[in-house]
Amino acid sequence: MTGSAKQLWHLAAISAAMMALGLIWAMFEGRSYQETLVWIKPLKFALSFVIYFATLALVVARLSKDNLALRGTVWATAAAFWFEMIYITAQAIQGQASHYNIGDPLHAALYALMGVGAVTLTLSIAVIGWMALRDKNARLSADLRHGVGIGFLLAFGLTLITAATLSSMSGHFVGIPPKGAAVIPFFGWSASVGDLRPSHFMALHAMQVIPLIAIWVQGRKSARSWIIAVSVIYAALTMALYVQALMGLPIWRL
Amino acid sequence: MTAEQLFALANAAVLPAWAILILAPRGRWGWVDIIPRVMIPALLSALYAGLILTYVHGSGGGFGSIALVRQLFAHDHVLVAGWVHYLAFDLMVGVMMAAKMDQMGLSRLSQAPLLMLIFLFGPLGVLLIWVTEWLMRWGTK
Repeated sequence: MTGSAKQLWHLAAISAAMMALGLIWAMFEGRSYQETLVWIKPLKFALSFVIYFATLALVVARLSKDNLALRGTVWATAAAFWFEMIYITAQAIQGQASHYNIGDPLHAALYALMGVGAVTLTLSIAVIGWMALRDKNARLSADLRHGVGIGFLLAFGLTLITAATLSSMSGHFVGIPPKGAAVIPFFGWSASVGDLRPSHFMALHAMQVIPLIAIWVQGRKSARSWIIAVSVIYAALTMALYVQALMGLPIWRL
Repeated sequence: MTAEQLFALANAAVLPAWAILILAPRGRWGWVDIIPRVMIPALLSALYAGLILTYVHGSGGGFGSIALVRQLFAHDHVLVAGWVHYLAFDLMVGVMMAAKMDQMGLSRLSQAPLLMLIFLFGPLGVLLIWVTEWLMRWGTK
């Protein structure tokens, strides 16, 4: 295994260890923020990071070379990961918001820094996707290389749209959910008003869905066409969820 | 020295040790390691030993109940001894965990926050490292 792949697996393992820590925390904690128990957000982010780093590791482990650009990219994701997780957890411990917390100059600056971290993490998907796409000696079939490349670049492009909108607003809701309003189980997305998080979720997970489709169809004559067709449909669905949220409509009314 | 001065001394001693452990190169320039690995832990251990031997009896406290422990720590010099105990053990564990993480091949960037966690929250950082190591071993089996 190359050094970069190993670092990415380490980061996935650290994120999983943070999940374990979140579950331990859950056994003791009773405080809520905006009707959600405070340990849930760090746990959700830790889970997301496990999936994020494992996906990148699976790809990077199959690239033919571990050059400075790749090592630098992995280093940047690690730095962004640590900052995001530490700040989100530190704020949760204090029962305070991390995202959208611009209550004073310090928290506003840290929220801005979270944006830098998020851009770093998103941009790294595109960089590694591009490397996979161009790496003819990678231990990936040509179809899968295209699936990874297109999936990763799509995740980057779509996430840029949803995240830019999210960061231009003062919260992820479009509308004000009534007190005690229903949410989508597990995800916690609003089931009563518009919520940009479902489209953000779909945007980011193009990096798993499209490569998985590519694994499924690779080797067929029509593989490339399938990958492109699914990518177009996937992007359209993501944008539909995005527009739906901006119209103030929930993904599913409960 | 007053309890307050000893407290300040111990705190001042431990900071450079952690800074070296977290930031300094290991290996070729590894001799600076001797500060967090040996010198500062030895200094803290000696300070702890002197304080606890001298003052533990006079405090009238004990280990058997919250009330007894509270009484133990109500005595300033024993309280400083307790604090130095934390500082010394956290640093010793940090040194061992740093060696373990070097062995795992964990990047120094990720080692830094994990060591900071041991510095601030001792067992919490150790638990994270253990689970990480266990997952890596499980994953590469």
